[in-house]
Amino acid sequence: MTSAPAVEPVAAPVPTHARRRVSWPRVALAIALPLVLIGIWQVCCWIFAPREWILPSPAVVAQAGWEVRDRLWYHAQWTIVVTVIGFALAVIVGSLLAALIARSRIAGLMLYPWIIVSQTIPLVALAPLLVLWMPEFGAMVTLAALISIFPVIVAGVDGLRGTDLELLRAVRALGASPRWVWLHVRIPAALPRWFTGLRLAAVFSVTGAVVGELVASARGLGALTRLSAGQFETPVTFAAVVILALIGIAMFLLVALAEWAALPYLRRATRPGTR
Amino acid sequence: MRHDGDAGTGIRIDGVLLTLGDDPPLPVLGGVDMVARAGEVTAIVGPSGCGKSTLLDVIAGITPVQEGSVTFDAPARVALMPQRDALMPWRTLRDNVALAAEVRGVGRADARALADHEIARVGLAGFGDHYPHALSGGMRQRGALARTLLAESGVWLLDEPFGALDALTRAEMHRVLRAVRAHVATTIVLVTHDIAEAVALADVVLVASPAPMRITDAITVAEHGADAGARVLDALRAAGVHA
Repeated sequence: MTSAPAVEPVAAPVPTHARRRVSWPRVALAIALPLVLIGIWQVCCWIFAPREWILPSPAVVAQAGWEVRDRLWYHAQWTIVVTVIGFALAVIVGSLLAALIARSRIAGLMLYPWIIVSQTIPLVALAPLLVLWMPEFGAMVTLAALISIFPVIVAGVDGLRGTDLELLRAVRALGASPRWVWLHVRIPAALPRWFTGLRLAAVFSVTGAVVGELVASARGLGALTRLSAGQFETPVTFAAVVILALIGIAMFLLVALAEWAALPYLRRATRPGTR
Repeated sequence: MRHDGDAGTGIRIDGVLLTLGDDPPLPVLGGVDMVARAGEVTAIVGPSGCGKSTLLDVIAGITPVQEGSVTFDAPARVALMPQRDALMPWRTLRDNVALAAEVRGVGRADARALADHEIARVGLAGFGDHYPHALSGGMRQRGALARTLLAESGVWLLDEPFGALDALTRAEMHRVLRAVRAHVATTIVLVTHDIAEAVALADVVLVASPAPMRITDAITVAEHGADAGARVLDALRAAGVHA
């Protein structure tokens, strides 16, 4: 082993102090809009005093939500479980289908067009049928999975098919086996797009769960909005909607966190002065 | 290193014909005959789109030969360095270089140790933990060169490796390549459309016709001295290239 470098070295890198602190002005900016809107809503309620069962004020919604917190939690648990299982199913089945479509030309030709066509079916219309065919919980999970599987498949296929050709040339010339290329080039190259699909799917899965509950369930926040609105408990309806939004935000943030942990090379902002 | 003493492997190409696609079929290589002598740099100069990159794919074994033959004097591994550095954005510089050893079954830890040695050799010591996006264009090409070194191959195929760099960085990379070559004997086939680069780096410059590509002339740089560039230009014009 020779130790002396053959060429003049590039100046050694300056260590960067990359540890980032939470930027409170940025956090304030991010939550400013909803706070302002809630403020306007509250002021409008004071001025125009609409009937509570038509438009309750934010303060009334908060109070009602706190009073029925046990009821909200009972329904929220169901929705959360349906959402998470539906999302997990969509990710597993969707990723396997994406790999199959990207891997096999025949599978691509046979499956991909029909997966796209299937998205033109309004899934709300399927909910009563699914309840006929399977137990209620299974039907809800299936709906959540069906609604959220599409972005997983499309993003997965695009990611796996979009590998940089020069990269493939370089590793193939080195004698890499097709299996090695899949594991070490195609799959890692597809991950950023796959995660984009996952973020969409995370939000869609909440919609899927709620659609099922609205149409054909006695449990879950979707069912609670239907029942409470029917009984003019409008503040409870609003409180349920707020909890649903929070579940959606939490799902999105969990996926974003997983992405942040899995793809460290995309955390570019930590290196000032680089692209 | 194992490859330091070798002279590299000579390559002989006889009558290679290649047609790509079928609607309509596109003849890319129209009967290529050429020799790349062991331990020398053979440059192929020709117009864009004439089939130079495809010829490298054929030599690398990525694209199978349809007619004709590609013969190596001795069995040899091949490393290909494309125009864009082709570093994986999700691997650090060290792991990008290490993959050249990983593909032939070397374990991660050993591959990384080997990679660090080559990274130092191309002057990038201290940058092993950096991701490619944090490196300049020239540094990324140095990284690609380190990966090529670690491939321990008897044949390097360089496909316009410095084409995307600015003039200053390109001159710097020419220096780096020459310095590295002084320590590693290997056969290099360099594809470029830059006559000055071909004459500066190569022992022999082959002139390629527009597609379907054939080799129309071979100019030995040492024989022509300062006139080599002008000879290559004349040969390109004779081959039908409006240079």
